[in-house]
Amino acid sequence: MEMSTLVAVVCTLAIFSFLYRDNPFYRMAEHILIGLSVGFTLVMLYNSVLVPKLLRPLFLEVDLWGIIPLLLGLTMLARMKRSLAKFSKPALALMIGSGAGLSIPAMFEARILRQLAASVEPFAMVGRGEELSFIFICSMIISLIGVISAMVYFFYTRPDTKLIGSISRTGVYFLMIFFGATFGYTVTSRLTLLIGRMEFLLGDFLSIL
Amino acid sequence: MNATNIRRLIFLVILLAVALPLIFNIDLTGRVTDETRQMFDNIEMLQSHSILMVSFDFEASSIAEVRPLAEAILEHACRKELRVVGVSLFAEGTALGEQMLAQVAKKHQLQYGVDYVYLGFRPQYVAAILAMGESIVDEYPADYFGNATAVMPIFRDLKNYNQVDLVVSIADGSMPTYWTEYAVARYDVNLEVALTASMATAFYPYLSSGQIKGLTAGLKGAAEYESLLDCKGGGRRGMFAQSVSQSVVILVIIAGNVVEYFNRRRKWK
Repeated sequence: MEMSTLVAVVCTLAIFSFLYRDNPFYRMAEHILIGLSVGFTLVMLYNSVLVPKLLRPLFLEVDLWGIIPLLLGLTMLARMKRSLAKFSKPALALMIGSGAGLSIPAMFEARILRQLAASVEPFAMVGRGEELSFIFICSMIISLIGVISAMVYFFYTRPDTKLIGSISRTGVYFLMIFFGATFGYTVTSRLTLLIGRMEFLLGDFLSIL
Repeated sequence: MNATNIRRLIFLVILLAVALPLIFNIDLTGRVTDETRQMFDNIEMLQSHSILMVSFDFEASSIAEVRPLAEAILEHACRKELRVVGVSLFAEGTALGEQMLAQVAKKHQLQYGVDYVYLGFRPQYVAAILAMGESIVDEYPADYFGNATAVMPIFRDLKNYNQVDLVVSIADGSMPTYWTEYAVARYDVNLEVALTASMATAFYPYLSSGQIKGLTAGLKGAAEYESLLDCKGGGRRGMFAQSVSQSVVILVIIAGNVVEYFNRRRKWK
């Protein structure tokens, strides 16, 4: 048996031991996992960003453009001392400004405009006189009721009338169905992770499978 | 029996409900859903030597769920003789993606740099997705192993998304949202997603609106994909265990509610 398999078995059993009660073996495995994740990410960032994007162009190819991001990056570290924190503001402003500039139009297009278009498209199909199946029409109507009622639920400054209250309650039912489906999928997802570990223990370690 | 012991008993029952079906394995793959079939068909319709970009956007913790999906999709790509470009926008998924791609490439005797390439990790996923829309070689001057990409045969006719026929994001989080917002909206990329089951509900609206061309999720999605490929991988192997363990969870929920109902009734009296 390979050493890596044995280490993985010990760590898996140590993590599972938490199901009985909290214990030092579980703590040890948990700390190893966190340490490894952080260490791996740091090495990846060093190898795939710092070296090819900064150190190599700056020191080997003498491309001085790299000084700008280097200085901006260094000023970010000034946040660790309160009296120097103001020097980090230009770099932060650049990050927030460019981030917002990039993401706002993209999010608006992908999450609002395209979704709205998809919500009303079936009605445009009706308008064009296209032949639609009974099930498609039913699902179209249910979708529309769901979209409108869920939006009304999140409209907090609405007038408190009976009609709007009942539309809002309908929205709650739609939201509950969504949360229920998501919860069901999440349980499935977690069971799959357990299946993966059991396949490893029974197959790779015990060779039963 | 106190609550702690009941909890431990439930853990034990779930453990057995997973372990025993794995030992007495029965193939339980059911009907293939329309979403998985659509995803399969989109890859099936690609011409041989088309470019498939696979983004390994997951962390090590979800490997049990994404590995069968990734392996099935890569197997399909190799059977169709597609040229595969692997990238990763999550640091942890980088090594795993390379491992999976190399394994399938070895099985099909693919030539590195000609039939497939693994470019590795780039941080700041928004910048990386946008930069690949301008030039993949400029964003990745070197591949995961440090080889210069500009001289690789696969990049002779591959500059940016215009030459990529399909992008598949294999993800355990919200990364496909960024692919949708930046690659689909701006560069009109054809995007398909293979997700962990817990993320599926978040992406069905994108599938309905046509922003995503295909979606498959979880172990069930992998099992369905494997049955379309007529092969048996991690998806089909795990379906029986998943069905039994899910049934046990449902029974435990029902039993818990019944016990709680009678406890409350006793208190009311």
